[in-house]
Amino acid sequence: MKVFLAVFLALLVTGCAAPVTKSDFSAFQAAKPRSILVVPAVNKSLDVDAPNYLLTTLSVPLAEKGFYVFPVHTTRTVLEQEGLYEGDAIHQQPPQALASLFGADAVLYVTINRWDAQYALITTTVTVNFDYRLVAKDGTELWKANKQMQYAPQTQNTGHPLGNLIAAAVSAALTRADPNYLPLAVMANDQVFNIGPTAIPVGPYRVVN
Amino acid sequence: MKPMFRTMLAAAALLAMTGCASQQGMYDWGGYSGLLYQNYKKPETVAANMVKLQEHVAVMEQRKAKVAPGLYADLGTMYLQAGDRDRAVDNYRKERAAWPESAGLMDSMIKSLAGKPAVEAKS
Repeated sequence: MKVFLAVFLALLVTGCAAPVTKSDFSAFQAAKPRSILVVPAVNKSLDVDAPNYLLTTLSVPLAEKGFYVFPVHTTRTVLEQEGLYEGDAIHQQPPQALASLFGADAVLYVTINRWDAQYALITTTVTVNFDYRLVAKDGTELWKANKQMQYAPQTQNTGHPLGNLIAAAVSAALTRADPNYLPLAVMANDQVFNIGPTAIPVGPYRVVN
Repeated sequence: MKPMFRTMLAAAALLAMTGCASQQGMYDWGGYSGLLYQNYKKPETVAANMVKLQEHVAVMEQRKAKVAPGLYADLGTMYLQAGDRDRAVDNYRKERAAWPESAGLMDSMIKSLAGKPAVEAKS
């Protein structure tokens, strides 16, 4: 009976652990991409600079993962020469066409859902939210994920209610004046590619120690 | 308060990046992401950023270390945009030699530059 109970408990425990669903990487493993083309993002935020800024954060994590990542600035320039300036127009191109134009094994599409600072009375919350989608050169979807990162400045306790209020208001005003999205974007990319169920398999240049 | 948050957030991001780097970082990027970011954010810094990237790849070559993917090519494109075709082609060739995956793109960049007359013909 004791053993039975122990087994039952063990089942319960592992039963709790199991539901963390891991993404299905069979298509990814079958395609074995060596190179990834990162194209400018579709921008659903109001910040017109967001796609350019985001573009600068994607090469490092993917290359460190072991893939050849096409030069993002060159990619953007070539696409502009093709008359493709906006993420919307670029994402509408068949992935096969983009992949063959650059000789890439896979194309990474990112959509910026949020890149904003929300202002309440005495707090400002900075949020980024991205949809990522990796598609093979034959059009097969290899992986997709969504990531949101957020931060709200926490103010130190001054030990005085009015002091706290003023400190919070000052902090919120400063964040509002110049919200810094880049560290959030870097963290979102790092987490989505490297941590938890969305972490992608390593590429051919990754030396496994 | 704000500078502190900034610092904390930057530290967290740095930790996230170097956390990977210390365990699994394969390349010395020479601040590549930051340079590109500056290019887009402050276009007046483009020339200075190009020099920094050039210096970085020169150091890497001196050390006989592998230059990270895309650095030669994007440096080449910066040269191209600054009007220096020879250096653009030179860097595209280096990218191609370092990374075979780039061959198709680099070949067509080099070819399209070779095909153009030295003085831009009016279209």
